[in-house]
Amino acid sequence: MLNTVAVIGYAAPIEVACGSTVEFKLSSATLSSARAQIVKIRCGDPDPSGPGVQLIAMPSPLDGEVALTHQPIHAGSCGLVDDAPALRALDSFSIGCWVWPTLLDAGAQTVVARWREDTQEGWRLGLDAQGRASFTVAVAGHTCSATASRALLEREWAFIGASYDSTSGQLEVFQRSLDVLGGRDRSASDKGSAPRHAAWPAGLPLSFAAHLRDDGTLHLTAAHFNGKIDRPRLHAGVHSLEALRASAAALRPVRGDTDLVAAWDFSEAIGSDRFVDRGPHGLHGVLRNAPTRAVTGANWSARTPHWTEATEEYGAIHFHNDDIDDCRWNTDLSLDIPTDWPSGFYSLRLSATDTDGQPAESHVPFFIGAQPGQARARLAFVASTATFLAYSNSAIRLDLQPTEAMLEQLLVLGPDDAYLQEHRELGLSTYDTHSDGSGWCYASAARPILNMRPHGGGYYQMDTRVIDWLDSTGISYDVITDSDIHRHGAQLLADYGCVLTGCHPEYYTQQMLDAFETYQAGGGRHVYLGGNGFYWRTAFHPTKPGRIEIRRGLTGTRTWEGEPGENGLSSTGEPSGLWRSNGRPPQRLVGVGFDAQVFDRGCAYRRLPDSLDPRVAFIFEGVGEQEVIGDFGLRGGAGGHEIDRVDTRLGSPPHLLRVATADDFGSGGLATPEEFGVSHRGLGGDQNNQIRADMTFFPTARGGAVFTTGSIAWGMALAHRGYDNNVSRITANVLRRFIDPAPFTGFGASDEEAY
Amino acid sequence: MLTTDASQARYLIDPTRLDLAREFRRVPRGHYSLELQQVLYRMRWSGVGQRHVLLMLEPGRRWMLAQLPARRGEPLKTFPEQVFTSIADAEWTVFCLRWELLTGESISNLNLD
Ligand SMILES: [Fe+2]
Repeated sequence: MLNTVAVIGYAAPIEVACGSTVEFKLSSATLSSARAQIVKIRCGDPDPSGPGVQLIAMPSPLDGEVALTHQPIHAGSCGLVDDAPALRALDSFSIGCWVWPTLLDAGAQTVVARWREDTQEGWRLGLDAQGRASFTVAVAGHTCSATASRALLEREWAFIGASYDSTSGQLEVFQRSLDVLGGRDRSASDKGSAPRHAAWPAGLPLSFAAHLRDDGTLHLTAAHFNGKIDRPRLHAGVHSLEALRASAAALRPVRGDTDLVAAWDFSEAIGSDRFVDRGPHGLHGVLRNAPTRAVTGANWSARTPHWTEATEEYGAIHFHNDDIDDCRWNTDLSLDIPTDWPSGFYSLRLSATDTDGQPAESHVPFFIGAQPGQARARLAFVASTATFLAYSNSAIRLDLQPTEAMLEQLLVLGPDDAYLQEHRELGLSTYDTHSDGSGWCYASAARPILNMRPHGGGYYQMDTRVIDWLDSTGISYDVITDSDIHRHGAQLLADYGCVLTGCHPEYYTQQMLDAFETYQAGGGRHVYLGGNGFYWRTAFHPTKPGRIEIRRGLTGTRTWEGEPGENGLSSTGEPSGLWRSNGRPPQRLVGVGFDAQVFDRGCAYRRLPDSLDPRVAFIFEGVGEQEVIGDFGLRGGAGGHEIDRVDTRLGSPPHLLRVATADDFGSGGLATPEEFGVSHRGLGGDQNNQIRADMTFFPTARGGAVFTTGSIAWGMALAHRGYDNNVSRITANVLRRFIDPAPFTGFGASDEEAY
Repeated sequence: MLTTDASQARYLIDPTRLDLAREFRRVPRGHYSLELQQVLYRMRWSGVGQRHVLLMLEPGRRWMLAQLPARRGEPLKTFPEQVFTSIADAEWTVFCLRWELLTGESISNLNLD
């Protein structure tokens, strides 16, 4: 078995341009060195029924042995406030905040602290292993605690707080449930006594949702809290629960409150990794590992579901013990990308023999995207990096019980999946849930991603099958990345006569949609060879390259559901969810939109009357009128996996020609939830003619046009019989015609002018 | 919060319906009759810690039987004596395991070809 995980790593940045620098951050728990080489990826899919893994060595100064060390990943999010005189000088004090715990059996969890675990110094407020509010103070080597008498409830708000009286040494801890009905009241308190006149450790940050392990410069943390923390308040002196709760109820601190030390307001700077203190000392902080922001607070009234319209009700942050944003590894290798390298999918290949004597081959992926004004071809292939990141380290087959029923086959896991099962610190995908069951909203490229590289699985692999086919045709092309389209807009697309999106361009930002619309309207030609594309409204973080965000909303094919009020993107303030729910269904852009998943078997296409229209004769050159199209490929058909159909009510253009369809899926064709309003029998493909993959063509303006196949499986059929098949022929017919600047004619008087 | 109950699937498999086992033996992957769909649906909800999977040893060529643990972070349980060179054999082996678990009757020694 090929060992693909003996070395793991990531490239920073994940996307580079020729002439710029990429750094590689590597780790191995078992090997001290490996042989390094850059490769360009023609095909990453190891399936022997396809072309197999095809890599092109790219000689570079990196060729040779690289020394390896083990670089650990420290998962778990938290907030850190640098030590300050106002924190060190605390004498008697009180602290409180709202909490919404989500995983009480995760062991003791710290909510807010200035605590060093190694020396057991300082103070901390949190939940004990039984889920009870607990306050600990260490004074002169004595550790004293007070712990409430009963456990909080998961996913229920409670105000928790504590005080230390330095003159008497008395400790107090309390918890008060927000909803006290139906057995939900878990209000309780406790007192304890500690030595008087505590002195607090210097140089130690105040932390939220964890405490510090030691005084190291990395500020490593432990005892991560799972759940939301809302409106923490720190006061000098001893205050009651009621007083602290009133302090939190005032969204802005009351002027003249001389006891107030800090009033943190997590509703400020929601799009950033910073958080703000509205108290008198400016005790602002930073967040580590991207906890979820723009989440509802204890005061959320539901008068609006969108955070930008009531930020004061979004003063909470949801922390997770498995959040990971940036591994912060040291750089092992770096490369200035030669200016004459072609754009494309690349990786750093690391080869060695593992400790069992087995061959080890690991890849660290990156993309070289052609930049605006630097086109070297008429055709551009779009690397769907937002989609690859959305799926990065997907564990749905490991964690989601219904996956086997959904995929209709015994699950096949690779060595990468087995590794991920054991190494959850890598962080999962936006399809997965955190250890507390809440969904992953963010995905970052600053960590090893196992399913975005040769020999792995997933949609990255499928898109390399399209690249392999392009290489087989001799049609020259550039690779551009979707995030460059996001950044540079339509000018990047305008360099090309035709732009090709692959098997599954599912995650799109508004800027990317706008760029495609402008491109199409300006005479650009767009070939969409996939299914379930242009589906989720997504954000690239404005200042953190390689971090995407998605909220799953309340409809769509989704593996978790967004919480009410939490479907706005924290990075940009936009609503998330389906583009269809945001007034821009994919049908409007590309003529077709998602209708069903079909995993049990593929289906061939048959030509429809529109295909005989002489204006689109070029598509079927060399294909008979009655010829069955694509009765091969992924589970036996070029139609399948996820499929898209025409719907004029959802925006498919009037000039669209539906030239072929794959519509004989049987009961394994399952409608996506947004395709039906009420449940009834007969929604499956055996009884429902809306379950189909439509092949379409339509003209746009100024000579522009769009061609779609409406199926993820299409790309997987291209290499059948040595690329000599009608899926390959149709695709090549379309691309060659789309690259040819000659206008499409005959689509109506008003359009003729524009052509 | 949208959640899934790992034991929500329900269907009583009739142990006398060997014709359905025979159908699966013939077409382990692809389109099934309605009754076989119901049997397989029940079988594929095997429950927390009970889920059999295949671990790929060589892409498209060799697979080992394995089982997913109940908790995240724990290693896969593997069965090194159960290695398959055909997906159909692997599917059949797991079908027989599940048939026996759900009906109490073994079919692995019957000739159902
Ligand atoms: Fe998808």
